[in-house]
Amino acid sequence: MGLINDGSQPRLEAWLAEQLGARRVSVEDVTRLSGGAISENLALTLAVQGGRLDGRNAVVLRAAPPMEVSASLNKAQEFAVLRAAFAAGVAAPEPIVACEDTGLLGRAFYVMRRAEGVAAGFRVVKTDTPQHGLARELGRQLGKLHCVRPGTPGLDFLPRPEHGPARDAARLYREWAGAAAERDPVLSYGLRWLEVNAPPASEVVLCHRDYRTGNYLVKGGQLTAILDWEFAGWSDPMEDLGWFCARSWRFGRFDREAGGIADRADLYAGYEETAGRRVDPARVAYWEASAYLRWAAIAIQQGRRHISGTEPSLELALTGRMLPEIEHDLLLHLDSLEET
Amino acid sequence: MSIDQPDACGLVEIALKTFREVVLSAASAEQRFPALMIANALSIAERELKGAADPAAALRRLLGEEGDADTLLRRLCEAIAEGRFDGRTDLRPVLWEITRARLAVSNPKYLQN
Repeated sequence: MGLINDGSQPRLEAWLAEQLGARRVSVEDVTRLSGGAISENLALTLAVQGGRLDGRNAVVLRAAPPMEVSASLNKAQEFAVLRAAFAAGVAAPEPIVACEDTGLLGRAFYVMRRAEGVAAGFRVVKTDTPQHGLARELGRQLGKLHCVRPGTPGLDFLPRPEHGPARDAARLYREWAGAAAERDPVLSYGLRWLEVNAPPASEVVLCHRDYRTGNYLVKGGQLTAILDWEFAGWSDPMEDLGWFCARSWRFGRFDREAGGIADRADLYAGYEETAGRRVDPARVAYWEASAYLRWAAIAIQQGRRHISGTEPSLELALTGRMLPEIEHDLLLHLDSLEET
Repeated sequence: MSIDQPDACGLVEIALKTFREVVLSAASAEQRFPALMIANALSIAERELKGAADPAAALRRLLGEEGDADTLLRRLCEAIAEGRFDGRTDLRPVLWEITRARLAVSNPKYLQN
């Protein structure tokens, strides 16, 4: 049974009317959106009478997964991050309302305005010529996000790095990998490399931490929205750039190093326009190595969700078998660092 | 070898061939993604059943120790984590060899990138 059913829909409508200061809200055109191995997303229309959203509103209702993933924010926290990003002028979907009361739909959720466009990575990268303008705009957006600093109201719940973002990350990925790092020497080597080469702690900013092709919407070649904020946190600003440029998110267009869409130079130039800081390529390279370890640790965890029997899923099972690809990319990256 | 034939490998091989020719080609738009995942999973299983390259020999050379692949992999991980391979140049080629062998099972096409 879906989240929105004959039982829950009237409750949801009444609650929304109250929250939005409307006379009446009806929920229409409910469809499940694909994607999101972690959260469940529903596209719907809110027909609102009165109040601040009077009229018809295309929105997305994003609900917590049946089982919370250790690394991700809960829905109320994700909503707070979305608000901070939106307030900073980032092209995040406009946050509308959040509900922590699981009595309403059985899970916590929030509602945001729905943006149009395509997210699927393999479709976004499919252009004959590089998308310089899109990469530059994604750089600008990231620069704006990175202007959000610790102390911003509403984000007190985000933990500050204890031993610097790089060391904290390496420690975390070792923890996530668990026993896998005791029998997979590439993992063991990658984790050791991160620990030995960790740069000294830098300033921290609000990082998206899953900023990549596949997590933003494009319509007619233009960026329409940046999605999937559930991993956001305070970190080294170069982390998001390293993650964005990792081979894992180029969707076969390995020659276009910025997310399979254009050159790093495009992304970096856009970033420097708005961030108020220069890109540090050596630090980005460190964080790209960190990205492979992070993705490897996530893939291990996703595989484990299937293997443990808690969530039997072919998609999760196959993600677990992606490790050799991720490790291949890591080794390629580490080799390239020694050539320079 | 199993008394009964075809063995697991033979069964997976023909199941995959039939699935590709009969089911995958006729899958609806909605079924296409799961169908592709099924074909992918079966092809990984088939390659694994046919046997992957054993890294034991390379590991024995690198570590100068005896043991089966599983034992040696664990010892290597321990040695790396303790920093005993820091700065050594003979490790990376072995890591590549292991990774190539695993990719030959999970996604051989990726090796061409």
